[in-house]
Amino acid sequence: MTDKAPFIKIRGLKKSYSPEIQVLKGLDLDMYPGDRIVVIGPSGGGKSTLLRCMMGLENIDAGTIEFDSKMYIAGKGVGKMNDINKSVQKQVGMVFQHYTLFPHLTILQNLTLAPIKSRGIPRSEAEDKARGLLKRLGLADKAGAQPSQLSGGQKQRVAIARALMLSPNLMLFDEVTSALDPELVNEVESVMMQLAEQQMPMMIVTHDMWFAKNIATRVVFCAGGVVVEDGTPEQIFTNPKEQRTRDFLEKILHTTESAA
Amino acid sequence: MSYDIDFFYALRGIDQLLEGLKITLTLSAVSIIIGVTLGFVVCLLLMSRSRLLSFPAMTFIEIFRCTPALIQIVWIFYCVPMLFNVFLDPIVMGILALSLNLIAFNAEAYRAAIQSIPKAHLDASVALGLSPLQTQLYVILPQAVRLALPVLVTNGISIFQQSALVAIVAIEDLMYMGKMLSTETYRPIETFTLVALIYFAIALPAMFISNRLEKRLKVA
Amino acid sequence: MSYTVDFLFLANYWDALLNGLMTTLGITGLCLVLGLGLGFVVALMRLSQNVVVRSVSTVYVEFFRGTPVLIQLFWIFFCLPLVLGIEIGNFMSAVIALTLYMGAIVSETFRSSLRAIEKDQMDACVALGIGGFTKVIYVILPQAILRAIPTLLSNSVSLFKESALVSAVGMSDLMYIGQNISSITFKPVEMLTAVAVIYFLIAFPLTRSVSLLERKLIHKISL
Repeated sequence: MTDKAPFIKIRGLKKSYSPEIQVLKGLDLDMYPGDRIVVIGPSGGGKSTLLRCMMGLENIDAGTIEFDSKMYIAGKGVGKMNDINKSVQKQVGMVFQHYTLFPHLTILQNLTLAPIKSRGIPRSEAEDKARGLLKRLGLADKAGAQPSQLSGGQKQRVAIARALMLSPNLMLFDEVTSALDPELVNEVESVMMQLAEQQMPMMIVTHDMWFAKNIATRVVFCAGGVVVEDGTPEQIFTNPKEQRTRDFLEKILHTTESAA
Repeated sequence: MSYDIDFFYALRGIDQLLEGLKITLTLSAVSIIIGVTLGFVVCLLLMSRSRLLSFPAMTFIEIFRCTPALIQIVWIFYCVPMLFNVFLDPIVMGILALSLNLIAFNAEAYRAAIQSIPKAHLDASVALGLSPLQTQLYVILPQAVRLALPVLVTNGISIFQQSALVAIVAIEDLMYMGKMLSTETYRPIETFTLVALIYFAIALPAMFISNRLEKRLKVA
Repeated sequence: MSYTVDFLFLANYWDALLNGLMTTLGITGLCLVLGLGLGFVVALMRLSQNVVVRSVSTVYVEFFRGTPVLIQLFWIFFCLPLVLGIEIGNFMSAVIALTLYMGAIVSETFRSSLRAIEKDQMDACVALGIGGFTKVIYVILPQAILRAIPTLLSNSVSLFKESALVSAVGMSDLMYIGQNISSITFKPVEMLTAVAVIYFLIAFPLTRSVSLLERKLIHKISL
């Protein structure tokens, strides 16, 4: 995989929320074409912040993110605004833990707002595409519903469809099943598996290790604001090299087993 | 502009204004004490299971919430003596009118607070073997007061401001004294500005406290 | 009891009371529209980055919330003409005073509904590439208005009740007419009760619909 140029190249990424709280401490990471990366690690280790930086939601202190060999985001120092390449940002989609659907719009309007208003796609075209996506995700009958009428699993599938409306070349999933009741987790994860089968490049933060094993081509263990270990799912889950990775996995696998 | 601003006259009447302020503060303070206590009693009546208790309480609250405070004051001033043949001191009448108004608004504040206490707390109290009275006393009441406090303070500030309406029925409060002074001295700008500033100076700290209380509740 | 209650005589004054009510409703409606516009602008001013804009709007809101409406009305009626050197009259004074009152309380309503929109929604806009005008018009404004509607309705009821004060500067509204007839006829009990009942009949259904609307809208926009 090293002979290919990286699809995403992150170098020296630093982000702090206050002088005392530095979340990312110079993180480096490469993502190659065909990679589906699952980021695991302790809370506060910087997983979600990494994804939020990649979406351009956080102003980074230092470092660079390249996308397809093009400059995407460059840090200019603490408190200074980043340079963001907006045309690259348009190729990135993100799904959040708390759905973030627009509560005052119907499901169909949630899907078509950005394509129509920000991308200038004709309404009829956008609506056709939206109905097609909803149908594929088993939500065809929900087009006219309000978000408040949907279950958590349905809301999250709508949120995924809404991101897909903009035909992204990279999808970021930030703990998208953490707020869901256990019986609803599967419907969301299986939509993500569908996307994986279509070779959608994805970066996923999750606490579900079983799902991580199944969907990932690479697993990245992130702690203390840097990448501690990076490898295939088999290697990370069965034979971690780093002590910190081993401790982390032991702790959570032990907890899940005793809970089950 | 032919009018020269000169606070001399207004300041010469400061004694008069302070006399009025004393009445304003008395009216407000007594009404607030009555409103906070009887408001809770009326709230309990309102939430009672017996319609014989809850219906009159609800009627009382709605009448006072859904009519202007001015008509309440004027009505009580003119109609109570005529209907019941009682002639009370004007200040007592003022307190009566303002208290009834505040009781209604505070009862509603307590009700909203009690209803926002999660039902799980009642379940927990049963699970812990607390008696219904103990539950009310140790679980519901302290939370209700804490939750209602910002609204109670806001209602207190608003009754302090509504107290200015008693000037219309010639009770010699701050507003009335201000009006008199402005007519006597032909100095409306200075007197009315001074009167407004006095009201504001007293309301401001209370508004500040109410904001703080609200923020603290939101954090908790 | 020396006073005999006789509600029948009210029939003779029905027209006068209705006229008064029309004045009350007219002035309430006018100040409602003006106050909503003013309040929305002031709410945006209070969220502004500019310190001067923010301070001016804050002082305005706090001052009008911190002083009795009666003194505001008197100041405008007695003092403003002297300051400006022009005749204002009681109608204009009443409109100015009640609009400023309404603007102050409505701005607080809009401000808290704008603040209630979660940061999540802004994140979603970035992720979807929705920005600027589109974000304000299609995402923020509708949510702010939906959240504000119940409180705005209750603000309007407050305005309707406060409008009784204009009788103090001689506007012939419902309150003024009621008081006048009651002193001419020596029938305050019947007259003032009738006036109170009229106010009640309008304010009560509106107050009730506030809580109904609250339940409906909160359900609609909660996630």
